[in-house]
Amino acid sequence: MIYLLQIKNIKYVLIKSVFEYTLKYLFRGGKKLKKKLVSIILCMVMVFSILSLGACSGNKADTKEPDATEAVADKDAAPASGDTQETPSDSSAEKTHLTFMGWGNDAEVATFQAMIDQFETAYPNVEVEYIVVPATDYMVKLQAMISSGTQPDVFYCNPDYIMQLAMTGNLYDMTDYVASNDLFKEDNVWASALDFYRFDGTNVNVGNIYALPKDVSAFAIVYNKDLFASAGITAPTKEQPWDWNQYLEAAQKLTSGEGDNKIFGTAPYSLESAIWSNGADWLDSTYTKMTIDTPEFIEALQWCADLRTKYKVAPSVSEEGSLGSYDRFMQGKLGMMGVGSWATADLWSKCDFDWDLMAWPVSPNTGKNAVWYGGSGLAVAATSKNVDAACNLAAFLAFNEETQRTSYKAGQSVPTLKDMAYGEYLEMDAKPANKEAFLDILGGYGRRATQTFTFSTEWFSDFNSGVNSVFEGETTAQEFCTSVKDDLQSLLDASIEQKEALK
Amino acid sequence: MLKKRKKRNDERIYGVLFIAPAMLQFLVFFLVPLGLCIYASFTNWNTLSAHKTFVGLKNYISLLQDDKFWKALMNTVYMLIPIPVYLILSMLFAMACNKKVPGNKVFRVIYYLPYISSIVALVIIWKWIFNPEFGLINSMLRSWFGMKGPNWLNDPVWTKRMIVIMISWKLIGITAIYYLAALKNIPNTYYEAARVDGASSFKQFIKITLPMLSPTTLYLSIVGIIGSLQTFLEVQLFTTDGGRGYGVATVIYYTWQRAFKFNQMGYACAVATLFSLLILIITGIQLKVSGKWVYEGE
Repeated sequence: MIYLLQIKNIKYVLIKSVFEYTLKYLFRGGKKLKKKLVSIILCMVMVFSILSLGACSGNKADTKEPDATEAVADKDAAPASGDTQETPSDSSAEKTHLTFMGWGNDAEVATFQAMIDQFETAYPNVEVEYIVVPATDYMVKLQAMISSGTQPDVFYCNPDYIMQLAMTGNLYDMTDYVASNDLFKEDNVWASALDFYRFDGTNVNVGNIYALPKDVSAFAIVYNKDLFASAGITAPTKEQPWDWNQYLEAAQKLTSGEGDNKIFGTAPYSLESAIWSNGADWLDSTYTKMTIDTPEFIEALQWCADLRTKYKVAPSVSEEGSLGSYDRFMQGKLGMMGVGSWATADLWSKCDFDWDLMAWPVSPNTGKNAVWYGGSGLAVAATSKNVDAACNLAAFLAFNEETQRTSYKAGQSVPTLKDMAYGEYLEMDAKPANKEAFLDILGGYGRRATQTFTFSTEWFSDFNSGVNSVFEGETTAQEFCTSVKDDLQSLLDASIEQKEALK
Repeated sequence: MLKKRKKRNDERIYGVLFIAPAMLQFLVFFLVPLGLCIYASFTNWNTLSAHKTFVGLKNYISLLQDDKFWKALMNTVYMLIPIPVYLILSMLFAMACNKKVPGNKVFRVIYYLPYISSIVALVIIWKWIFNPEFGLINSMLRSWFGMKGPNWLNDPVWTKRMIVIMISWKLIGITAIYYLAALKNIPNTYYEAARVDGASSFKQFIKITLPMLSPTTLYLSIVGIIGSLQTFLEVQLFTTDGGRGYGVATVIYYTWQRAFKFNQMGYACAVATLFSLLILIITGIQLKVSGKWVYEGE
């Protein structure tokens, strides 16, 4: 308050002096009127700029005040509705204040606001301040808040950042809370989703839990049933998934037309799925060595590239750049595509043809299939002053049955609670018919993305930015993998070094 | 005498008061962060951590060995190409606007539009114009000349060319306005005298217009070089991760990636410090050389 007064004083002095100066100058009787006019205008500009500065600080003060008056009003209103005269006003004076930060589209923000209202009703002595930041600015905002020591009590946290945030001591260890809380049962949550947020000080996916899964998403294959029917293809069953060759055969049958009417058999194939199912991976099991030059890896990468360059059943790099597969599929110009469970709503509203899901094809070499799953979590800040309340809020937001229901009914996600997923979600009367394809991934062959196991993901983004040359057919998978391996290894080494520096 | 001194003192205070807001802003938003940045460049500061360990020159040494930094630096130098192009074009535009032609005010507004438009909106439109399959440019190339247009959005070399075209297009308008203002300041008497002496209009341009515009050219080239060296948004909006093989990334983009994507704030500060130093040297050289070609009046 004193600080504000001081600023106001300075402003007052400034305005006064500028004003006096202007008046003095005006009435002293100069010769050139033109010059005088210019100086008056300049003075006015100065005054206005100072005033606008003042207006900014004034606004800040204004926004504070309603909060205060509201709090007072609450206090006044509380005794009337409450049972006794003293206790409610006491509790409102000691109200625990929590901040919660997240990103999301309008629908998600509305859902979360409704949930927060429910939470405040269930826990009357906690008030929650909800901060919404655009997804693209989110990490920058969080970084700034962390470096100024004002991080929110509860915040969204992607699996990619768990290791970094936990190692820098920013996350509260929720293991005990998960075991002892009465908001949810640990074994009713997808183990795969919870493992995302485990970290034992060296490796992720094992150890203590540092966040709760806000949502979980599986990545299955969606196919255009109408196109399948007209090409005379029967989709594979769960028991007998296709292998790569059968997938390619189907894609070749589906591909037809030219120019604007061109129909592609398949979207660019998921690299993760191909590589993992072929028994290969980017890194070895300790996540310290690049293993992209193994024959299995190269074979899988080359197969993905061949779909685009050799067989031409998937859009080329420039065709994909012009019209993404996602939109192509919705327009009915694509036979099969990898799709996340989050896209269900889009598929409902944009596809005017019949569609369904199928499992990922197996590699002919191993007979196994694999694909990644994703999600984002809710973490609690280690610096939070009200850890218990913050944990409750995180759990409430993550596992609220009503919200999970709203979310899957809106086609945004698959329930994080297993009993709900296998129960009412499967029974829901909406496409896709084969919803189990999503659940099989979460409870079975789905895997966590390799790059989330390392401290820095730079090696992976470099791999991806270079791999287009293989997809364009400029180099072979063999040449590419051997040429970039050493560079990527040195990036991986740097990542390990950075990680060690924080220990 | 005494009164006079008092008055001078008064005026000094008023003067200080007048520049105080600007100075304060400069101090708080420029000098302090600059100092912090230089300090942080000698630490291994992780953006997510409060701890900064002093590591000496380590950041600078690994920076000089970093291929990506050198690639980014070469790409940044590439961004200087449009400067002479748009300087010359805008000078021609300005001279055309200076002629008393009906409707020249409309043109002035049109030239100015790209400069005040939001870059995000511009990028969306440019992505559409330069779309390799159904974009305006490639469709025109295909239907008029029957040739296959380049892959503007995916091939890093062509993406860089596209960005250069976009920068020139965006800046021609504002640069032309500067030139127009300078042209209006050239006294007509010079041209009259030249005409009396029988100088051709080309000679008038070489001997009068160019030298009289040289201070503006100097200013615009300094501002232009600094602006070009700081190219960032175009790269971020047109590419993912700086284009294939880091072929489009600029130094500022590289810095941003280090600081906010890979959380190496200390390292990013080292890049920023080194790069600021580089800009400082370039600008210094420009000012030094300017004595030879800039006309500063009698």
